[in-house]
Parts: sequence; C-alpha cells; structure tokens
Amino acid sequence: MSVKASPGMGAALLAVVALAAVPATNIPPYYLAFLYLIFFWIAMATSWNILSGYAGYWSFGHAAFFGTGVYTSATLATKFGVPFLLTLPVAACVAALLGSAIGFVVFRLQRLRGELFALITISMTFVVATIISNTPIDGGSGVYLISVPLPEAFGSQNGTIYLLGLFMATLTIGTAWWVFRSKMGLGLFAIHDDEDVAEVKGVPTFRYKIAAFALSSGIAGAAGGVYSIYVSYVTVGETFEVTVIMYPVVMSIFGGSRHWLGPAFGAVIVTTALYGFAAGPQASLVRGGVALGLIVVVLLLPDGVMPSLQRWWRILLPGLAPRQVLPELLVPTPRATGAVLAQIAPPLLQCRDVTKTFGGVRALKGITLDVRPGEILGLVGPNGSGKSTLINVITGHFQLNAGSVTFDGTSIEGMPAHRVARLGIARSYQIPRPFNRLTVLGNVALAASFGGGVGEAEAERLASYWLTYTGLAKKAFDYPVQLNLHERKFLELARGLAARPRILLLDEVLSGLNNTEIDEALGLMRDIRDRGTTIIFVEHLMRAVVALSDRVAVLNNGALIAVGTPEETMRNPEVVSVYLGKAHAS
Amino acid sequence: MPTKNCAWLRPIFFACLSLVVALPAAAQQQPPIRIGQTLSLTGPFAQTGLAHQIASEIFVERLNKSGGLLGRQVEYVVLDDQSKPDISRTLYEKLVTADKVDLILGPYGTAAILAAMTVAQRYHKVFVENTLGQPGLATYEWHFSATIGGADSTSTLPGKVLDAFNSTPHPPQNVLIVSSKFPSAQDMAHGMQRAADARNLKVLGFLEYEAGTRDYGTIAARIKDANPDFMFVACLGVEGSQILEALNKIGYKPTRHFYLYPSGLMAADPLADHATSYSGFEDVAPYTSTKEGGEFAAEYNARALKAGLPYPHVDSQAGNEYSGWQILVAGVKATNSLDDGKIAAWLDKNSVETIEGKRDFSGRSHTSASDTQQLKQAQNGKWVAIWPPEARTPGASLIAP
Repeated sequence: MSVKASPGMGAALLAVVALAAVPATNIPPYYLAFLYLIFFWIAMATSWNILSGYAGYWSFGHAAFFGTGVYTSATLATKFGVPFLLTLPVAACVAALLGSAIGFVVFRLQRLRGELFALITISMTFVVATIISNTPIDGGSGVYLISVPLPEAFGSQNGTIYLLGLFMATLTIGTAWWVFRSKMGLGLFAIHDDEDVAEVKGVPTFRYKIAAFALSSGIAGAAGGVYSIYVSYVTVGETFEVTVIMYPVVMSIFGGSRHWLGPAFGAVIVTTALYGFAAGPQASLVRGGVALGLIVVVLLLPDGVMPSLQRWWRILLPGLAPRQVLPELLVPTPRATGAVLAQIAPPLLQCRDVTKTFGGVRALKGITLDVRPGEILGLVGPNGSGKSTLINVITGHFQLNAGSVTFDGTSIEGMPAHRVARLGIARSYQIPRPFNRLTVLGNVALAASFGGGVGEAEAERLASYWLTYTGLAKKAFDYPVQLNLHERKFLELARGLAARPRILLLDEVLSGLNNTEIDEALGLMRDIRDRGTTIIFVEHLMRAVVALSDRVAVLNNGALIAVGTPEETMRNPEVVSVYLGKAHAS
Repeated sequence: MPTKNCAWLRPIFFACLSLVVALPAAAQQQPPIRIGQTLSLTGPFAQTGLAHQIASEIFVERLNKSGGLLGRQVEYVVLDDQSKPDISRTLYEKLVTADKVDLILGPYGTAAILAAMTVAQRYHKVFVENTLGQPGLATYEWHFSATIGGADSTSTLPGKVLDAFNSTPHPPQNVLIVSSKFPSAQDMAHGMQRAADARNLKVLGFLEYEAGTRDYGTIAARIKDANPDFMFVACLGVEGSQILEALNKIGYKPTRHFYLYPSGLMAADPLADHATSYSGFEDVAPYTSTKEGGEFAAEYNARALKAGLPYPHVDSQAGNEYSGWQILVAGVKATNSLDDGKIAAWLDKNSVETIEGKRDFSGRSHTSASDTQQLKQAQNGKWVAIWPPEARTPGASLIAP
C-alpha cells in the first residue's frame, strides 16, 4: 500500500497536534479527564473492530485482553517497581500474546466461527478473571496504584494520562486505517464475507486472523495499562465487568464496523452521552436516548453511521465525492505463454489414487487423472459423482484422505488453499459466491492481488481488464447483489482469470444461462485456453462438453469410469449406462 | 417645635433602619457553600446510592433550616457515577476543577472511594468518606473515615460476633465461612478465619463464590452437608437472601448465621429470621432515642417510602452518610473556614459527635481508634440491636437456639 500525503491526512495531523496542546491551556483538568475517557473508548472500540468488524469474528473477549493489560501494568508497577511507562509496552505484548495463543487454537478449527467463537471469547474473559482473582496477581483485594509515580506532562499527572490516552487513540485509529487500506484489510473483509472462498482466492486467512487478533488484543492491553493508573484502584469485578465487553460492540455498530473511523465516531457519541451527563433527570434520559438511537441505527442504518454519511455525501455532493472511474486497463501477462501442445507435454496436474471420505461415505475412490497443459478437460458425471469434491480437493479446500495431487511437479496435497491458489490454480463456484460487501471491481482485484500476487494498483488495473473482457466493466462499482445470474457467473469467471491461473477449474459455469449466453461463454473459454490457461470444467450440458473439451473425464459414484476424447467417451458403454441406463448401453 | 428639633435625627434613623434591613439581605445574597459528591444513582449499587442521597438531602435541609454554614446556605451537588469507579474519579475531577465546589464528600463503595481519593489528593481536598471497606488502603493524609469499624475491623468485627454467640447458652463449636469474592468481603472472611483459629473454633470450610453469582445451589448443598453450628457469610446486598433461598429449596435452615453487608430488606424475609449482621444505625431504639436520631429516622423513612425503596427504614448506610456530613460540617464550624487544610488539621486532633456515636480519627488511616460497630438481628421482620448488651433495643436479646 502506498501512502501519499493528502489534505485529509494534513487535517488529521493538525487535529492531533491541537489536541496534544490542550493540556498546555488553562482548561479545567476535568475536561482532560473526560477527553481521556473518550480516547480510552476510541482505542477500545477501534481495536475491537480490527478483528471483529473487519473479519466478522465477533469477540466478546476484549475485556480479557483489557484486563490482562490492566493487571500487567498494575502488577509490574506496584509489586516490581517497574517505571509505569515501561509497563505499557509489556502490557500490550502480554495481551497480544494471549490473543495470539487463543487464536492459534481457535482459528484452526473451522467450526469455531460465528456464535461459537463469541462464546469461546466470552469464556476467556471469565477464565482470565478467575485466574487473576484467585492468584496473588489480585487475590481478591484489588490493586491500589496511588503510590505509583508517573511523570508529569504540562505540570500534572492528568496531563500525562491525557497524552497517553491521545497517543493510544491516535495509534489505534492509525492502525485501523492502515489495516483498512492494506492488502490485509482487503483479506479481512473477504474473510468476513466468505472465509472459505477467501482462502481459495489466495487470502492467508489463518495468518491474517492471528495478526488481527494480536493487534486488537495488544491495543486493548495497552489501553488497559493506561486505564489502571487513571482509575488507580483495580479490582477483578470492575475490570471484567459487562460494560467493558459490550461498549466496544455497541460503539462499533453505532459508528459502523465496516469503516475504519466508524468505531471512533461511535465512541465519541456514546461516551459523551453516557459520561457527559451525570446529574439531574436528563442523565437517565440521555442514556435512554443512546439506547433508542442504537435501535434506530440498527434498523435504519444497518452499516452504521459513518458508511451512511459517506453514502449521503456522495449523493448530496456528487461533485466533491471521489470519482468512480475504472482504472486504466492492464493487459495481463500469462504465467504460461501460449497454448502448449497437450499431447507431448508432461502433465500439468496429476491426481494419483485420490481418496476423500466424509465419515463413512467415500466421495472419491482412488481417482487417478492427468491434466495436460493447454487442454480443456471436461469433467462430467451424475449428481453426487464427486466432481465438485475433486475440485475442492485439487484447490486445497478439502484435505484428501489418501493419494497425491501434484501440480507442475510440486506436491500440493495438504497445502493450504491460499498457497495452492498462488501456485496458479483458480476456480469458480457452481453457485456464485462473491464477496457481497466488496464491489465487483473489489472482488476481481482481490483475486488478482492474492491469487495473482500483484500489488494494489496493478491488481485494480488487471481487474479492469478482466471486467472489460467479461463484459462487466459498467458494473465495476456495483455490488454483487445488483448483478443478475449471468453477470454473477461472469464475475466468478473474471475472479478466476484475474488470479492469472495456469489452470482454471470452472464448476458448472454455464448452468442457468440461455443459449446466447452459453455461446458467449464458450467463446470466452476457448479464448482463455488460447491465451495459455488450462481449463477443467465441470458441466452437465453435454452440447457444451462435446463442443469445447479436448478430453472428457467421467466420474460415477466417486470413481473415474472413463477418460478420452469426447467422441470416445460418449461411446463408452459404461458412460452410456450411467447416463441413459443399462438398456441403452447394451 | 420639638418636631423641628428632632428633624436632624430623621436621616440617621432611616440610615440605621436601612442598614438593619440590608445586612441580613446581603448575608442571604452571599453565594451558597457548595458541597459535592458522587453517588451510585444508577447501576448495580443504585438502591444503596439512593439511600445515601436521601440521607444527604435530609442533612443539608436540616443544616440550612438551622442557619446554614458560616452564615451561608449550603448547596448539595450530587452527580451520578453509575456505580463505576472510573466515572466517579472523572466526576470528582469535574466537581473540583469545573464545578469548583467548596468541599467534597466521598462516594459510596470502596472502589469508587479509592478512585476518587486520588483526585482529592491531587487537589488537596479534605476527604471524608463513610463506606470504605479497606481502610488500610487509604494512604492520603487528609482522608477521614466516618465508618464505625476502626482501622482493623477485619479483626475486631469477627471477634465481636463470636463474643456475642459465645454469650448464649449454646456457644457454637464450629463455623462455616462463606464469602463473596468481593475485596472487602474476602478480607472480612479471612478475618473470621483468623478469629476462629485463635479461639480454637473448628472451621468446617471456607466456601467462596464469584461476586454477582445468581445460582447458589452448589454453595447451599455444601452448607447443608457441613451443617455448621454457626454460618458466617461475607456477602453484599441481596446475596445473603439468595443463599437463604437456595438453602430453603433443599430443606435446610441455618440456626446461627451472620451476614456482612446485607440489604436492609433481609429483615423482612421470613427465611432470614434470626439472621445477624453488623449495625451502626437502625430504625429502632437506642439509635432513634436521641432527638436528632429520631427526627432523621422519621424523615428518612417517609422519604424512602415515597422514593419506593424496598426497605423504607433507616439503616447503617443512611446513618453512615449522615455521620459523614456531621464530621465535615463539624470541621468547618470549628475552624470557621472552608480551608481544606485547616479542616483536616482540626479533624486530625479532635473528635466529632455523630448520630452513630463519637468519632475520632486517631486510628490508622484516620479511622476511629476503636471499632464501635454493634450487632443486629432480624426478629419478627425487623432489625433490632442485640450486641453489646448495654446497647440492645429494649426487650430484645440475641436469639441463638
């Protein structure tokens, strides 16, 4: 990601400098304390959002990392005499390590997503609280920090705490912005929309989730460290209370969890409303208003306030909004140039005795199949014959139980799907599975970036090219839900092509298309092959299979029953039997 | 004419008259003395916070009716800390630096008090609090405690409790200690264990539960299994009643039992009959026998009823709050000043008569030198004073079958 100076960045820098100068004024220290609370919740909500908002892994364990930071700083400062400022990076590291360790276990198990992940993280909060409560770290009596020395900024400890809060908020927003704009951010958004597809498109999902969790928990730990000196007396009950768990969630939803600034916006509004009104009957009214506002936002602005503001801005002031112009086309450079003579070259892909079982069901029974470079291989068979399973095994989505898969001499069985994708194996899905909250351009650029291994700008230019190639250029800034089935199928194709694949696996890309659209698609596939990409395509439409395939492989009940030219295969009695019944075969 | 001769007196007469009229008016126009405090008016401690607020309002109204303080009216500034120490700390910063109140009083609850104390220390404000459960943590030199337990109530209160039960015809031979994992409760539970060990009283067990627990089934089963002669429960609020409810479900009723900081409502619970607790002020004699104590109790009961408090009777929480005000105001009156340093210096060397008895601050951390806590027992739906014998509610005694 390239970072260029912009008026927005200049204004942000000025704002930070102006805020840093506030303690030098004669402002009553209460306002410094109040602003500190806002900074604190900005750091908490924004850090929560880096994992939970971007990647969609809703964590209710933020209090665990916050509490780890609180007690790390409190313990080091009070029991070991460590200068307080030095305890803060340690608090961040301990919390980040804890987050990483939890993630290392939890993220390996695909079933631990959604509500199960939320349950595990909330359990972690109770586990950490119980450990701290029942060990000398706290022991039940709390830790009092009043005697902990703290350097004075602008003549007071309040000034120091304020600046630490400002630093944490700035650092957190900066980190959230950086992640948002980076390749990692794109990957996290893809994980949010469809993690399995993201992995197959080349996103290193495990690594990204660990990194996001570490960043998120580390920042919460550092914020906890600062908080410990602010409140000066820390107890398990107060540190791990439910508001610490829930407020970041509420603030992020309110402000917009899909936007890097959304949680900060939510934190400012919610903190001001909750803490700014402390006397009189209006205090409860304001808090009730916040709750009501949240309901309204959830109902009317499901993406939160910030993304909605952005949308309204584009509508109301189209002249000032960023222009949506398709980037200049970049003609792709294929990884393998030109079509290779399929008959004489060594196989590009080799499957040997590939076996895949699901419980007691053997979905693939020792498939042995070679795919030659530059050919179009039709993969056919009745429903349930194992076609899609074979594609899933080749692309690394499923791990095989026995056998081997070799791609251009490299063994790829057991290899994570994102690494398989980066070797040059791309696929489309029978039922299109686009990333619904990325634009059409974003969907294709992601595949180019991760699968194709190119930089951000180049990825967008390549995406432009493939969108133009598949006739979707006019839809580049639409979202997938705005496309019809034909367009969504072609989006799948564009995503596959943008990864610069050496072999492209197309899973029933023609199903649901009319005759004109099918002819158009067949033309595209021939052209793709002519550009040097090997194609395996799963299809039920025999007209297309015969017209397009150099060879056809037929699966039945998980076994390969025939492979050869279309004519040979169609005359094979076993194939005829499978498709038309034994009477026709005899 | 005589009238002519006295004409020169007329301007002097009117000048004097106007002076007489104007002086009190000028005094009345002086800005009020503003005394600020945060209380838990919302959040988990809201009910107790409201009791403290009622007590404070009664005190300030009585004070103003009797002429105010230093010839000025007193304005009570109360902010809602939402039962959260961080907000309490922030709002004390507001009271001192933005609202610029003249004096402050401590909030409710140990965590909030310790958080607020850092602010008092930073701005050199005299800090009188009335509910600090761990006085030993209060290292600020201008801190003064209105609590009645002294500096080491974790040792003295368990001793009193055991003394009281040992005075009965059937002294307990063993004790089961049950404790919430709340800092001040845990400290007291450990104090009971030390006291039992020192008296060779067999400790059948030390059961702990997480603060905020709702399911006491497991704890209740273990209590029933132990079947102790005496059960000491270091709990807060309604936890004690919840434990009794769980015990009742499995058909067990403790005979001798003590609860540390129960809700006042516990007395009205039939399951809590003969439950004991500490006491500083209750809605019975001898506490209400003094003029001020009686008037305060009557006024408090009326307001608590109007406010919808579930236990509309004055209790130690309200009594502690009222005592805290008495201590601060005594310092102001004695020094004829709002200077925090002067008030602190005076309190350091003197004692103050409160509705809960005399307070001096010669103990560690400016607590009372001695523990003046008494014991109460739930009898016929009401708390009555039962220990020490000389301070019993007339006709009442400790029932320990």
